[in-house]
Order: sequence, then C-alpha cells, then structure tokens
Amino acid sequence: MLALDLTPMIDVVFQLIIFFMFTSHFGQMMRTEINLPREKGDEREVQQQPAMIIDIQTDGRYFVESREASLNEIERLARSGIAESKGGGPKFDVLIRPDQTAPASDLDRVLTRLSAIGVIDWKIGTIVPDGSGS
Amino acid sequence: MSIVWGKQKKRSARARATRIGALPLTSMIDVVFLLLIFFLVTSNFAQQERELPSALQTEGGGVRASDLQPQVVEIRMLDGSPVFVIGERAVRTRVDLQALLSQLPKEPGVAVKSDPEVPISAVAAALQAARDAGFTKRSYVPQNAP
Repeated sequence: MLALDLTPMIDVVFQLIIFFMFTSHFGQMMRTEINLPREKGDEREVQQQPAMIIDIQTDGRYFVESREASLNEIERLARSGIAESKGGGPKFDVLIRPDQTAPASDLDRVLTRLSAIGVIDWKIGTIVPDGSGS
Repeated sequence: MSIVWGKQKKRSARARATRIGALPLTSMIDVVFLLLIFFLVTSNFAQQERELPSALQTEGGGVRASDLQPQVVEIRMLDGSPVFVIGERAVRTRVDLQALLSQLPKEPGVAVKSDPEVPISAVAAALQAARDAGFTKRSYVPQNAP
C-alpha cells in the first residue's frame, strides 16, 4: 500500500522553509542589538550587503562585525576593502549603525578617517519609528 | 486482581485507538513546535532595519561634482537640544527643517555638519529631512574631532 504519510512531510517542508529563512537573513541576525535612530530611511536591498558595517556604541566604542575595533583597525580594514573593490570587486560602501544617543563627534571621528582614505559613500542605519506603517 | 483488570483495560483501549487510526501525537507536537518557532522567527524579522545613504565630503573643498555650493545645514546644541541652522534661519524640529529645505533649490544639493556634542539622532533627522524634501545629493561633512 502506497500511503504518503503527511505529518513527516509537513515536518520536513517546514524545516526547509525555516532553514532558508535563516540563511537568507543571516547577515542581519549577526548584527548586535543597538538603539538606532528612529527614521524612515530607505528600504535595504537584501541582495546587496554593505562592504563594511561599523557599530557605534553609546560609550564611543566601535565594533566591526560584532568585534571591537580601534580607529586604526577600521582604517586598515577599509583600506583592504577599497583595494579589493579596485580589483574588480563590488563598490566599497560603509554602513554605520550608531546608537542614537551617541555624540556626533564619535561619528565624525570615524568618518574623517574614512574620507581621508577615499571612502565616498556611506549609509546610516536606522529603524522604522513606532506607529508609522512601512 | 485489580491490577490485572487495569492492564487489560489499557490494552483494549490502545487496540481500539489504532483500529480507528488515532493521530500520532509525537509528530504532531513536532509540527506544532516548528510552527511556533516559525512564527517567532518571522515576527522578529518584522522590525527590519532601514538605511539613509549619504556622501562624504571633506571640510574646505574636497571632491565636488559641480561648481554649485551646496546649502549647509548646521546642527548646533542650544539649551540641551539640537537646533538646525541654515544660513540665517534656525529651526528646532524635523518638520520645520523639511519645510524649510523643500523651498530651496535641489540642484546644488545639501551638506550636513554638526557640532561634536550633538546626538547622532539629530544627524539622522537632518539627513532624513533632506531626503524627504527631495534632495538627491546629500553629503555629510565630518568635523575634525580634537
């Protein structure tokens, strides 16, 4: 008798759906929780991840890929990123995820370094404010 | 006597259940848990992050696409709250800044700079206001921190 058992079938299908959801959003899952500025901004293109993500905490510490980094380390990473993009890679852009209460001097300090080595495009990470749809 | 009786009763109940075709409980719980995890994960993704793109510009010249001087929005601190200054005019709220910016010509673009103690939320607000006012050329001028 060829009776297809439905329960394990649904089980497997759900496993697959969850697996693909997790892997496609993995870049965002890796990001640390941060109190981002509440602005509408632009929608992020899922396919196009920024080349470098810098977090700025309230106490002025910088984090790259969830690891604490000094300004010199950030500069070194950005330099190698730029060299990579000059060698035919995708355009080098920086996403900065600041704590909204952090002072602008923390932002200026890192952006001054980045602009000095030729970074032109950057983005500020935001989160949709509560109460405003989409 | 009573134990034997109970055993017999249990066995017969199980036999009846399989005859009817009872739902397999283990796999059912499995699926229910999967559903639970699925909805937990998707509700977390509902709060997606957005981004505000902007260009970088250095103080005093730097790379400039056109000869037109961009309008400068300066953010200063006054009595503990940020104030947006464009030329002679100063506004306190994002809505007022957006109204002011929408009257200005869009071609030269807009440059944002801020005092060191201004919270980054005000910087983001200024960039958002410029975007909403219709400026496509937006740049940020980082100040040399001491």
